[in-house]
Amino acid sequence: MSDDQDRQLSPRVNSAQLANYLGKNVRLACKVLNIDVTQIVVEASDGGQVNVQIQSHSEIDDTYIEVVGKVQTPDTIRALACIGMGSDLDMKLVNDTIILTHDPRFKTMFS
Amino acid sequence: MSEIPQLTGGICKKLLTAPTDDPDVFESEHTVQFLSVKQVSGGPSTDPSKPSGPERFRIIMSDGVNFMQAMLATQLNSMVFEEKLPKNAIAVVEKITCNIVQGRRLIILLALRVIAQPTEKIGSPTQLEADTAGTIATPTADQTATPSNSFTPQAPQEGTSVQRPQRPGPSNSGRGNIYPIEGLSPYQNNWTIKARVTQKSEVKTWSNPRGEGKLFNVTLMDDSGEIRATAFNATVDDFYAKLEEGKVYYISKARVNLAKKKFSNLNNDYELGLERATQIEECLETTNVPTIKYNFMALDRLQELVKDSVCDVIGIVKDVHDLTQVNSAKMNKQIPKRDMTLVDKSGFSVRMTLWGKQAEQYNEADANPVIAFKGVKVGDYQGGRTLSMVSSSTMQINPDIDECFALRGWYDSSGVDQTFQAHSSTSGGGSTIAFNRSELRGLDEVKQGEYGMPGKPEVFSARGTVMHIKSDNISYPACPNDGCSKKVEELGDKNWRCEKCNQSFEAPRHRYIMSMAVADYSGQAWLQGFNDVGEAIFGKPANDLVTIKNENNNEFMAIMERSCGQTFNFSCRAKQDTWKDNNRIRYGISRITPLNYKEEAAALRDLLFTQWAN
Repeated sequence: MSDDQDRQLSPRVNSAQLANYLGKNVRLACKVLNIDVTQIVVEASDGGQVNVQIQSHSEIDDTYIEVVGKVQTPDTIRALACIGMGSDLDMKLVNDTIILTHDPRFKTMFS
Repeated sequence: MSEIPQLTGGICKKLLTAPTDDPDVFESEHTVQFLSVKQVSGGPSTDPSKPSGPERFRIIMSDGVNFMQAMLATQLNSMVFEEKLPKNAIAVVEKITCNIVQGRRLIILLALRVIAQPTEKIGSPTQLEADTAGTIATPTADQTATPSNSFTPQAPQEGTSVQRPQRPGPSNSGRGNIYPIEGLSPYQNNWTIKARVTQKSEVKTWSNPRGEGKLFNVTLMDDSGEIRATAFNATVDDFYAKLEEGKVYYISKARVNLAKKKFSNLNNDYELGLERATQIEECLETTNVPTIKYNFMALDRLQELVKDSVCDVIGIVKDVHDLTQVNSAKMNKQIPKRDMTLVDKSGFSVRMTLWGKQAEQYNEADANPVIAFKGVKVGDYQGGRTLSMVSSSTMQINPDIDECFALRGWYDSSGVDQTFQAHSSTSGGGSTIAFNRSELRGLDEVKQGEYGMPGKPEVFSARGTVMHIKSDNISYPACPNDGCSKKVEELGDKNWRCEKCNQSFEAPRHRYIMSMAVADYSGQAWLQGFNDVGEAIFGKPANDLVTIKNENNNEFMAIMERSCGQTFNFSCRAKQDTWKDNNRIRYGISRITPLNYKEEAAALRDLLFTQWAN
């Protein structure tokens, strides 16, 4: 995959998969645990905790959000955008979907 | 043998007349002579209608003055086998009990000892009978003759059990022969049956070109079977009050006719006609009463039964719907109806419908009782199986039978949380339709598969998106009365008339009727929907939309456009229609459900984890 396409893609991941996407853009659906000025701590769909570095926290007021950002380390993302997901999100369903999209059987659909 | 002991003269008379708690009579010792000892029943049975059981011996017992009959308690049977009780033996009876059977005393010897065995009869005793109404010839032990679900306990072997005369020998005045119901035929007329009224209908009247009349019928049941009995016109007055559901009666001198199978679904070739000469007498004895026999069908096997067949079921009421009224075309009136969902251990659920008084009177404090149904009719509404009470059906709430306890135990421990499989989708009117996600069809598949043609499936589930709604005719003016949806005619301004209810109204209540194009990944089809569909799609009652259409066409068109693009789950029914020489399949929507994305996604996720996705 060329670098250009890489930058446009943002596959949905959970915390365990962050290590596979170091330096790349990903989407993380997660539950907000703690809000700070420069960073928020979230829980990913598989239960793992991730630190998200943010510009401003004023827009975040949902329980569940989806962070689009660049993976810094296996447990840190630098946020480019945050999308509110409301207060009711079935995390198990999300996680199962993430696992399925990464399943080798369906590789051709998600690349 | 030395001197002959003295017999206790007069004891026979006392046994038959003294109060049964008189210790001098029943608990003291008396000396008697046994003039004869005869086996009257029991042992291996050659008569298929008589159950086999322990041997019973009847003794002709004399006190020198009178002789009478008495029964030997079975625990003493060995004395007979060991030949300790030859003819004319003299014995001291130590313990006696007295049972009342059919209004007469039956003396049972519980304990005795033989003191002499002379060869001669003492004195010239005369016969004394329990009463004048004949002899008790063949008492048998109380076996549980009912094959299923009877709770009458097994006969205790001691003589304290009630010994029931099952079939008196020679015919006498009074009782006569107690026949089994199965044995009735037009060729016999000197019979008596002892049966329970398991079901009594209301008095029905009719009037046809030949005249008028009234009738009522009952279902009579004994250990051998069931039979219907009907009374017409004048006889209705004689017997309607007399026969009560649940009670047992002796009936004789009724006419045995060929059964009119059209009016009854009992398994008997004959039926009884109650006439003026018929005798009906209530049976007061509380034992040996025939109990209702059930032959329960597990709910998962209902598919095996054809439409209109009759069966018995037992289940837990999972939920009960409200009383509704349906219009009967034939009788031109409204009939109350109530649906309920029954479940059982087989994991299936079925809809049961109660009608008329039973529907109205159903008011169980217990939200999930066990109900046993007998003689309910199987229907195949919309491809599945449903059950319905008919006039000859009966229901028992929380019956005292084993099946009930088993169901109660199962439900309270695991069944209450279980989800049940329904016998395919069912109709509106308050009952639930299963949108069958596992049986989703693509719309193209429905059309190619010629759903709705004879022999092809009628009912299907689909998920599609509304593409277009025909806006010229989205509703019709309907009768505002609850339960009546007939189109009303506009006779004038503020004068709309409903023919069915025979009423006029100022304004109709509009109901949706729509034709819409629905598409999914495979293709597009035209589906027809009614009021519930309209309300789901537009989100407002038809009256409102009609007002908007008349007043502000722009807003109306905007609403039409907005309604497109919505996706729903549909439960549909395909039906062939002939309209002016055209044969067309029309797809009607039985139920429309908006998508619950969580549920749908979860279903898809589950599917992907199965083999199907490989």
